[in-house]
Amino acid sequence: MSKPTQTLLVNGRKVTTCAEPTTRLLDFLRDELGLTGTKEGCGGGECGACTVIVDGSPVCSCLMLLGSAAGKEVLTVEGLHGEDGGLHPVQQAFVDHAAVQCGFCTPGLLMNATAYLESGDPKDPQSVRHALAGNLCRCTGYAKILDAVEQASRALPAQGKEVQ
Amino acid sequence: MSARPQSGVGARTLRPDARSKVLGDAMYLADLRAPQMLHAAILPATIASARVTRLDTSGARGIPGVAEVLTSKDLGSVNRIGLIYDDQPLLVEDRVRMAGDRLALVAAESPELCREALEAIAVELEALPGVYDLSEALSPSAPKVHEAGNLVREFAVVRGDVAAARDGAEILLEQEFKIGGQEHAYLEPQGCLAVPDHDGGMRLFSSCQCPFYVRGAVSRALGLPLGKVRVVQSTTGGGFGGKEDYPNEVALCAALLSARTGRPVRLVLPRELDMQASTKRHGMLIHHRLYASADGRIRGVEIDILVDAGAYAGLSTVVAERANTSAVGPYAIDHLRVRTQVCYTNNLFGGPFRGFGAPQVTVAHECQMERLAKEVGLSPVQVRRLNAISPERPEFSTGERIESAERLSKVLDRVESLTRSKNAQAVAEAGDRFRWGTGVAVFIYGANLHHGGQPLDRGGALLHLQADGSVNVSIGVTEMGQGAFAASRAIAAEALGAPADAVHLTEVDTGLVTDSGPTVASRATLVAGNAILDAASQLRARLLPLAAELLGAAEKEVETGPGGFLAPGGRFVPFADVTALLYRRRIHPAALGWYRSADRIYDPATGQGQAYMFYTFGAHVTRVRVDTWTGKVDVTNIHAVHDIGRAIHPPALEGQVQGGAVQAMGWAIMEDLLLEEGRLKNPSFTDYLLPTAVDAPNVEMTFLEDPEPLGPFGARGIGEPSFIPGGAAIATAVGHALGIHVSELPLTPERVLRMLAREG
Repeated sequence: MSKPTQTLLVNGRKVTTCAEPTTRLLDFLRDELGLTGTKEGCGGGECGACTVIVDGSPVCSCLMLLGSAAGKEVLTVEGLHGEDGGLHPVQQAFVDHAAVQCGFCTPGLLMNATAYLESGDPKDPQSVRHALAGNLCRCTGYAKILDAVEQASRALPAQGKEVQ
Repeated sequence: MSARPQSGVGARTLRPDARSKVLGDAMYLADLRAPQMLHAAILPATIASARVTRLDTSGARGIPGVAEVLTSKDLGSVNRIGLIYDDQPLLVEDRVRMAGDRLALVAAESPELCREALEAIAVELEALPGVYDLSEALSPSAPKVHEAGNLVREFAVVRGDVAAARDGAEILLEQEFKIGGQEHAYLEPQGCLAVPDHDGGMRLFSSCQCPFYVRGAVSRALGLPLGKVRVVQSTTGGGFGGKEDYPNEVALCAALLSARTGRPVRLVLPRELDMQASTKRHGMLIHHRLYASADGRIRGVEIDILVDAGAYAGLSTVVAERANTSAVGPYAIDHLRVRTQVCYTNNLFGGPFRGFGAPQVTVAHECQMERLAKEVGLSPVQVRRLNAISPERPEFSTGERIESAERLSKVLDRVESLTRSKNAQAVAEAGDRFRWGTGVAVFIYGANLHHGGQPLDRGGALLHLQADGSVNVSIGVTEMGQGAFAASRAIAAEALGAPADAVHLTEVDTGLVTDSGPTVASRATLVAGNAILDAASQLRARLLPLAAELLGAAEKEVETGPGGFLAPGGRFVPFADVTALLYRRRIHPAALGWYRSADRIYDPATGQGQAYMFYTFGAHVTRVRVDTWTGKVDVTNIHAVHDIGRAIHPPALEGQVQGGAVQAMGWAIMEDLLLEEGRLKNPSFTDYLLPTAVDAPNVEMTFLEDPEPLGPFGARGIGEPSFIPGGAAIATAVGHALGIHVSELPLTPERVLRMLAREG
């Protein structure tokens, strides 16, 4: 009997796998697909470094099993930039504002910020802080990250469609 | 005033490491794999003081796919890994001395098999009495952590006649400070990948601050010459001191397993083990006595400090030396006695952490200054100015004349203007439930390594010009997120006349660049920058004649300009044209630059002499709101004032200052290492609270730019200064808000309520 397979969409590509459905989505992305941009900081859903976007919502990929992602659309940091290699407005804003120091929290922050900015949630400064509270950063003190997300929120409405 | 530069020193260029990090391309340790790679794991002791009565690995060795299981019996003398003191085994011999001590190592085909192997090892531990209370560590009745007793080492500063100062004093302020430790919480856990080399040597990829330390440790353990151990730093996800010496231990585990199996081995610590076992900021007990005249002049100070090293000395004595020297702060005090004792306990492993012992002693001396101000009716700034090191009274605790003392007075001027506003007053709101206060903390920072570390204070930089005008720069100090690449690129571009975006930095490879000592003590910009300047001046001597030829000018008329060379009359030749000619003429296109600091003289017995290379000053002025019902402290604003010499890369500088301030805030009000007989009860980010985007205060900055004669383009380091006053300013602010004397950190709600009940 052949092993059961599952199919999901990762960064716009259809992926069919016979990996165990109990594999953490994080391990599947990193070890099976080689998408190592998604980082493991704690393995317990506490630091946010492994955040990816699943069907439009930010998810800690260390807490989601592959089986739960079957049939869904997963976006990782590798899928954020445009076809032409141009940076996504959120990526560009992080570069422009030096919101990147050691960079280990960056992919998770980018994914969470992207999902938040594309959502209908309010974008006032206090809401931005709450939206990012699940992503720990030990280097920056958050000031430049908040500046970057503000820049991106101004850039995104015009580009919202392209990003999709 | 000239316009802000577009490239080179002082320009707001993009960080060179940002693009690869936002794309997810940067390769951190866990992103690296090697063919035939094994995974590794550690079996940690779960109690802190015990005798090993059984350690049976046979069950694990029999599991298919488990390639190797190691205990201390397999290692012999290789097992001794202490850096300064021979007190630490890599794997437990017969005594467990800390929770997290390594009992065994395994290497297997998968992480799952590693876990299975760990579970198959049979362990029995017989609990022994332990030392968990730092104040008891040196008592004769305390259990001995090591045979020779619990005192690792003692440091002193002795000046003048402190007994006479005490007898003649009108004011005596005595306080015992209990200061907590701190977890580094770098987002990337510790890790290493060891790969056997074809020539019998070993290559290691390491997430670390000090690749040359890792190389030395592995060379000793494997009996290999330094030249056959090559350490390549992987992109490092934060360090803060936590990746100074501890990566040696991680690398040794991977290297020994790799040497035994002949296969690559990767070890990445799980977060819980990383938090329990790796080094921490030291908890300290500081007994501070200040003797002053009725007018607020300090006559003398006596300070006794106990430093909790945990079970092994590690680098605790080095940290304690900075605490000892910095204990009096930036004040001129003629009569002085400081004693700093480093103690073994069975608590967490003390080690380097941003500030290196200075933040703890700064809390003590600044809280005492605040009390003195109140006692004599002076403002916080007046009392500090009265006692500060100054051109008239320039002697520091070391007896050195601080020639730059007038810069401290500029810091105090700025602090005065910040505290004069009515927004700095202590006020109450909501029927006295919330109280607002403003705190001040001023510090002095001895730049670079202490005298004791001077043999390590050298460094190299290899500059390699390419024919197309691009430049490869290999520095011997590491980028760990702090901005060493951004600063080095700016310096190299400025010194060579190359466009900044043509300069490319490489992570340290010990086979390529000369041993540059550790990346610690805010020395990266200083060491890399000065070495780059040396290399660049060698290269400029080769480039200038060629530039002159291309410009049709005399060599002495040619100047280095942004992106190329200039001659009178507005003539310009791009950098790339000159390097192309360099190659056509077959002139040597690379240079190794070197830096070493001047020799210093110092007496460790009295703490007198030239402790540091030069000194820098700074302050925080911090606003807090305290909820007297819940005890919760909110830090609403921090204004950081730093005597930075010269801003080499302003965005990286700001990032350090903002990040250091928030990290210090975490230490001061949130981060609490909860111990139960040496075991960390909260080894997770759910239970050990770190500042989030919601907690982060507004951080404002003032940079005073008086150039440093010994720094590249006038720069001084900022990594540690950014943290040092943070805890002290919050402590004085909470004291101001509540009208009490703060003597404990962290100021968690429970502690604030306890202090209020006691004093408020």
